[in-house]
Amino acid sequence: MDRRHFLTLTTALAATGVIGQPLTARAAQPYAGQRVSVLLEGHPTSDAIQKLLPEFKELTGIDVELEIIPEQDITAKMLLEFSSKSGRYDIVQNNIIYIKGFADAGYIVPLDDLLKANPDHYDKADFVPGYIDTAMSDGKLYGLPVYGESTFLMYRKDLFEQHGIAVPKSFDDIEAAAKTISEKTNKEIAGITMRGQQGIQGVYVWAAYLWGMGGSFLDEAGKSALGTPEAAKALEAFARVLRDYGPVGVANFGWEENRLLFQQGKAAMTLDATVNGAYNEDPAASTIVGKVGYVPVPMQADKPKGGSSSLAVHCMFVSADSQVKDAAAVFASWATAKAQQIKSVKSDPNSGVTSLGAMADEEFVKRYGAFKDAMLQAIGQGNPQYLPTVPQANEIINNTGIAVSKALAGTATAAEALKEADAANQAALSK
Amino acid sequence: MNQDATRYFYQPVLIFLGAVSLVLTAYVTWLTLNDLSLMKPQAQKFVGLDNYWRLLTDARGLGALWRTALFTIAVTTIEILLGLAIVLYLDREFKGRRLVRALLLVPIIMTPVVVGLTWRFMFDPSTGMVNYVLSLLGQDRPMDWLGNPAIALFAVMIADIWQWTPFVALLTLAALEALPTDPLDAARVDGAKEWQVTFYVLLPMLKRALLIVALIRAIDSVKAFDLFYIMTRGGPALSTETLNLYGYIAAFTNFDVSYAMTIALVLTVVTNIALLAVYGVMFPARNEARA
Repeated sequence: MDRRHFLTLTTALAATGVIGQPLTARAAQPYAGQRVSVLLEGHPTSDAIQKLLPEFKELTGIDVELEIIPEQDITAKMLLEFSSKSGRYDIVQNNIIYIKGFADAGYIVPLDDLLKANPDHYDKADFVPGYIDTAMSDGKLYGLPVYGESTFLMYRKDLFEQHGIAVPKSFDDIEAAAKTISEKTNKEIAGITMRGQQGIQGVYVWAAYLWGMGGSFLDEAGKSALGTPEAAKALEAFARVLRDYGPVGVANFGWEENRLLFQQGKAAMTLDATVNGAYNEDPAASTIVGKVGYVPVPMQADKPKGGSSSLAVHCMFVSADSQVKDAAAVFASWATAKAQQIKSVKSDPNSGVTSLGAMADEEFVKRYGAFKDAMLQAIGQGNPQYLPTVPQANEIINNTGIAVSKALAGTATAAEALKEADAANQAALSK
Repeated sequence: MNQDATRYFYQPVLIFLGAVSLVLTAYVTWLTLNDLSLMKPQAQKFVGLDNYWRLLTDARGLGALWRTALFTIAVTTIEILLGLAIVLYLDREFKGRRLVRALLLVPIIMTPVVVGLTWRFMFDPSTGMVNYVLSLLGQDRPMDWLGNPAIALFAVMIADIWQWTPFVALLTLAALEALPTDPLDAARVDGAKEWQVTFYVLLPMLKRALLIVALIRAIDSVKAFDLFYIMTRGGPALSTETLNLYGYIAAFTNFDVSYAMTIALVLTVVTNIALLAVYGVMFPARNEARA
C-alpha cells in the first residue's frame, strides 16, 4: 500500500468511525503498558489486594509489581530507596505518623492533582472521615487509607459476671478488677495482659495510659513532655498492674503473644488494637468466642490533653521519584475503593476497612458485629496525635520504649526512667 | 625479582578487593565525620569528631559494648569447651555414629531467624517447652526467661550455644581425625593413663585447630544480630542490646546514619585490635619462625 492509499483509507475509516472505536477503548486505559512497583506491609489487606491484581490489569492495562514485607522492616527499606532517589517503588505503604517527615523531606507527593486528573476510582466521601483527614499534611492529601484501627479494652464477660465485677470505667477500675480476678483464681488467670516488649509494642499500649491519665508525649510548644507527674503516674500504674496481676513473661510480650494468651482464655482483660476482636471471635483459633465484651479505653483525667484511643491508619503514598505517578495514583485509588474493600472482607480477615460502604456491608456486619460498634466508637474518638507525628517520631518512641521497659522490669522507677527518656527525646527534637 | 606467572591471577583480584574495601572504609569514615539523618538528607553537615565524642559519653552505647564483649567471651568459651567435650566423646566407634554426626549439622544449617523464633517459643513462660521440663523437675514457679532483664541475655546465649556448639565440634572432629595416632600410641606404651594422653598429648596437638575455631566463633559472636532481633529486640530494659543492635536502631529507627556508622566503625576497629592481639598471643612461635 503506498502512502496516498493509506491516507485515503484512514480518512475514510475515521469518517465512518471504524478506528474511532479502538481509540476510545484506549482512552479508558491511558496508562496501559505502564508498570507500577508497589511496596506493601504484610497484612490481610495486602493479601486481598494481591488476589485482585488480575482484575486491575484487565481494567487498566497497567502492570503491577507487588512486594510485601513485614511492617517492622518497611520504613527502613523505603527510606534507603527514598534517600538514594532510586525510584524503585512508585507506591509505598506506611503509618500516617510518617507523613509529615516524608513530605518535608520531599519523599512523597501530594495526591490532590493526581486524583483530580484520574478520578475514576477515588471517592473521598466513602472514606472514614477520621482516617482520610489524618492523611494530610499542610492541607494537602498525601495518602489513601488502606486499613485503620483503634484500640479498646477487651474483657471476659463470663469471668466478670462470675466474680461480680462491673465494667471498668477508669484505670483504677482496671487495676481493681485485675486484682480481684488474679486473687479469686489464685493467679491461674492473669488479671490483665498487655504488650510489654521494649519498643513500639510497649509504647503503643502504654500511650493509652499516658493520654488517659492526662499526659502527652509533647507539649504545645513541641517540646518533650514526658517529665511531667502525669506521665510518671501513668507509667507507674501501667507497670504496677502488669507486674502484680499480669502474666509471667509480659515484659517480652509483643502483639502476638498478648493476643494468643487472651485468646486461650488465660487472661481476663487486655487493652489492644481493635483488630484483635477479629481474632477473639474466630472460632477456629479462639476459645473465648462470644465471651468478650468491648468498651472504649478509659479516660481518667481532669484536663486531658488528648484522647486515650489510638488512631493507627496505614496509607499508600506515591513516591516523588516515581516516573509513572498517574498510573500509581490510579492503582492506589482503585486498591482503596469501596468495591475492592468489600471483596477484601470476604477473602481475608480484614476488620480494618477504611470505606464507610464496606463497613455497612452485610458480610462485614456478620463477621465483626460483636465489636463493630465499640470499634466505630473508638475510631470516632481516636486521637490522631496518639503517637507523635513529628519527623523524630521513631526515635521518641524508641527512647520512650526503653523507659516503659525499665519501669516494667523494675530496673528503674517510672519517674527516673521517664526523666531519661524526656532528656533523650528533647535532644532528638532540638537536633 | 620473582617472575612467577601466578601473580597475574591473584594480583588483579587483590587489587580489586583492596580498592573496594578502601573506598568503602574511606566513605564510612567520611560519613562518621558528618551529621546525616535519613529524614533530612539535605541537611548533611561536617561535624568533625562529634560523633566519636558522643559515643564515648553515651552510657547506652558503652553498656552495649560491654554486653557485646560479655556475650562474645561467654559463648565462645562455652562453645569451645562443650564442642571439645562432644568431640572427645564422639571420637570412638559406636552404633549410630554417622547419625549423630548428621544430627550435629541440623542447628548449623537452620537460619538464625528460625532458631530465634524456635527458642522464643521454647522460652515462653506459660506455654514453652523449657518451663514445662523444669516443672517436671519440680520447679513450680515459671521462669521468666526473656522478660527478666537479669537473665534475658543468658537466654539468648543458650540459643547461640545450641546453634554453634556443633560447628565447633565438627571442625574439631575433622582436625582430630587428621592427627597422626602414633604419638598417642607411644604415650600409651610409655604407660600414660588415658586422661594423661588426652591432656598432655592430644590437646596440645589440637590447640591450633581449637584456636582457629575460637577465632571464627568470636568474630561471629561480635556480629551476632538475628537472634537478638528476633528474641528480644534489645529488651527488656536494654538488657540484651549489643553494640551491633544499637547501631541498627540508630540507623533504622532513629535514621541517624552518621552515628550508626560511627558505632559500626568503632565496633570494627575495637574487634580488629582485640582479635589481632589475641592472634598475636596465640601464634607467637609461628611469627618468630617467619621473621
